[in-house]
This record gives sequence, C-alpha cells and structure tokens, in this order.
Amino acid sequence: MISISMKNVSKSFGDNEVLKDVTFEINEGEIFGMLGPSGSGKTTIINILTKQFAASSGECYVSAGSNEIGLMPEHDGLYSRLSCLDNLIVFEDIYGIPRKRTLEALERVGLSDSKKTVVEQLSKGMRQRLVLARAVLHKPKVLFLDEPTSALDPVTARGIYKLIRGLRDSGSTIFLTTHNMEEATHLCDRVVMLHNGTIIEQGAPKDICERYNSVKTVMDLENVFIQVTGGGL
Amino acid sequence: MNSFKAVFKKQLKDFIKNPAVLIQFAIFPLLAFVINIILDFESMADSMMYIEGMTEEIAAAMAYAMNDNMPNMTTMQATMFAGMALIPVVAGFIAEDIERKSLRFLMMAGVKPAPYLLGIGGVVFLISFFTSVAFGLVGGFGGLDFFVFVAAMMSGIAGSIVLGATIGILTKNHQAATALAMPVALIFGFGPMLAQFNDNIASALRFLYTQQLNIVADYLNGVAVETPLRQSFMIMWVNVAVLGFLFAAVYAKKGLKD
Repeated sequence: MISISMKNVSKSFGDNEVLKDVTFEINEGEIFGMLGPSGSGKTTIINILTKQFAASSGECYVSAGSNEIGLMPEHDGLYSRLSCLDNLIVFEDIYGIPRKRTLEALERVGLSDSKKTVVEQLSKGMRQRLVLARAVLHKPKVLFLDEPTSALDPVTARGIYKLIRGLRDSGSTIFLTTHNMEEATHLCDRVVMLHNGTIIEQGAPKDICERYNSVKTVMDLENVFIQVTGGGL
Repeated sequence: MNSFKAVFKKQLKDFIKNPAVLIQFAIFPLLAFVINIILDFESMADSMMYIEGMTEEIAAAMAYAMNDNMPNMTTMQATMFAGMALIPVVAGFIAEDIERKSLRFLMMAGVKPAPYLLGIGGVVFLISFFTSVAFGLVGGFGGLDFFVFVAAMMSGIAGSIVLGATIGILTKNHQAATALAMPVALIFGFGPMLAQFNDNIASALRFLYTQQLNIVADYLNGVAVETPLRQSFMIMWVNVAVLGFLFAAVYAKKGLKD
C-alpha cells in the first residue's frame, strides 16, 4: 500500500528550478532514503510533502493527516529557555498523551538523565536527539527525518538506527534524507539518488550497487553516486 | 482546548525563565514605588526653598512645581508600562516563535492560529494583571477607585497586546520586531507623559488609549479632567476594536507562517 508518492513534481524559487519532474512512491512500513549532496533538493521535497511549500507543478500524496506526521527538520525549533522535558510537554499537551510516553521517548533517545537540562545548554547532538524524541512522541504514521544523524557520534547514531527500525517494525513509514551513503546502505529498504533536483537512480541499495558492479567491484552507494554524477557534487 | 492549554503553559514557563522580559513587568511599578515612597517630594521641595540667595518668588514657584504641579509618578509609570513595555514584548514573543521555526511545529501538530495567539496574549494579559494590581497598590487607590484603575489598565493592556501581535506577525523575526515595535511603543508610552507638559500634544493624543488611561488615572488621583470617565473607557475600547481590525487585516495578508 502506498504511503507517500510524488508524481512529476517540479519546484522553482524565482528562476531557480530546484526540483525537476521528481517521481517516486514509498510503501507503507518502509524506510526510504533520499540521497544527495547539500543543495540537491532533499529538504525541499520534505517541505513539499509536509505542506510547508506548495509544488510548482505535479502531484503529491501522503497517507497521514498533519497530526499523524512526525518531522525532524534541519531547524530544530526547540524552546531554548525550556528544559528537554518541558519542550516535549508542549506536544504531550497538544496530542493529549500520557506523561509516561513522554518519558519513554526521552529514554529511547538517551536523554533521560538530561530531562531537566535547559535546551540552550545541550550539545548539538543532544538537541538533535531531543528533536527526534519530539518527532516520534505521538507515534506518527509517517516520519520525515532530515539528516537525522548528521551531528551524532557513531554510537549514538547506531542507537538512532535501532529506534528508526523499531518504528518501521511497528508500522510507521520512514522518509529520511542523508548524504551519508553508508547510513543509507545499512538502514534503508529503498533509496532515491537526487542530483541537482533530478532523480538519477532509485531502488534497493543492494540492487543499485549490483547494477553498477560491472564497473565497480566494491558494493558501495558512494561509488555509484560518484560514477553516475560524474564525480562532482 | 488542548492547543490553548499547551501554548499557554509553554508561554508561561518561557516567560518566567526570561529575565529580560520579566524585569519589564516589575521595573515600572518598582520605579513608581521608589519615586513615590523613597523620594519624598514634599520634603525635597521644602528643602529647595531654603537655597541660599533664592528669592521668595522662585522658592514659591519651585514648591508649586514640585508639590502641586508634579505629574503623578504612578500614573506616568503605569501608562509607560501599558504603552511601552508590552508592545515589544508581545511582538518579540511571536516573532521569536516564527524565526526559530517553533511555530511551524505547533501548526504541524494541529495548533490553529487562534489558540496560539490567545495562549500568547493570555499569558501577557495575566502577568500584566498582577503588574496592574501592583500599580494600584503603589498608587494608593482604594475601594472602587482601585477596581476602576485596574479595569482601565487592562483595557489599555488589551490594546497593546493586539498591537504587539500585529507587529509580531508583520515582521517575522525578533530583530525586525524590536526595530518596529520600539518607535510605536515610544509614541504610545511617552506620548501621554509629554502631554502632561503640553496642551497641544494632549489634544493631538486624546484618541490614543494610553492617553485616556492617563486621564482615568489622573481623575482617580483627584486631578480635574475634562473627559468623563465613561468616555475615556469608550475611547479605549474603540481603540482595542480598531487595533483588532488592523490585526485581522495584517493577519489576512501575512498569516502566521514563516
């Protein structure tokens, strides 16, 4: 069953066309990766799918209402003078969920011990984990993650991968963007490669790598990307 | 209701943890208290009359100025609080939420603009109520006068909250909100003070809610005023309604999105 789709979507800001005829589908309960360098249009796709921007042309579909969507964007939107727990309590009140679940969300991202710490005193990685806790607090049907592990150390990143897989196993659809090809290889069921606003490849990471094995012997999405784009970002 | 409660609670916590804003709600009544109680104008004026070499006429004029013609400090500080402190504060709260993208998350979670704005305005209104009560106590208003004074303050405060919210959604970042709110606040806050010394300014500002707040407070202090109490309240409420329309027009054009 289709959870998210884009059909022939284009988006321009003035004369700058940042997305060109983008088409893909994501199945329910899938971890789907959008790969590409900075400026390739990944965040714009998230903004269109979460209705923050309108597409210039084309059709979009998300099988969840606005309060069934979780979002972890590049701007954290945290209340810097409030504690970690107080930041989550705002959304606990909006969704009407019990405190127990809020505390569980903090525990799942490893912030239980810092629940009373004011956000402005958190490291970048801790802020990122708090944003993830906020995104999964209401157990969303569809979760959008914009570079979820970009500021995290490898150990914490692995914990986040586990959390993302757990959400997938409980039925959530995960859409994540990353420029970390290794992360995409290990985490995603399917990926799309985006370059200058155009999809250049899509499929399961293993299939994509195998498709290029005739040229490269190493099964590595990064090599595939460099090969397909001609090496330049 | 969940949305209003969430925004109200959030804003209250944020307010309490924001000393730069919190101090503005204490400093004006505190200043009035200090000027009224610690500095005793009467004794100051009396002592000034005995400056060596001063003629009796000058001494009498100074005593008049210090004792009888000195604007009431509580009234002045209360008007400045209602007009000057609140506009940048409310504008800053909204612009800050837009700028740091936290408002985007609230909207995505299903919070509608009305409960959001009511939550922000509600907190400022509540804290301002306590400040108004403090002014009432510092000003020594008793009985019915106390309630009339607080009612006049809350009418003026409502106007400033709506005006601040308009600036907040118009500017969309904290720096721009402060830049626009400050001159507006100076007109609304300082205008009535200047009007105490100049009849032309008083005449020009007579339709401003802060000027009418000043007139109500003067009346309660026993100063002879030309505007009847009921008319002052009417002007203030018309101000709130006009500012409400202005807010609606700006909101319709700009919305709350960043």
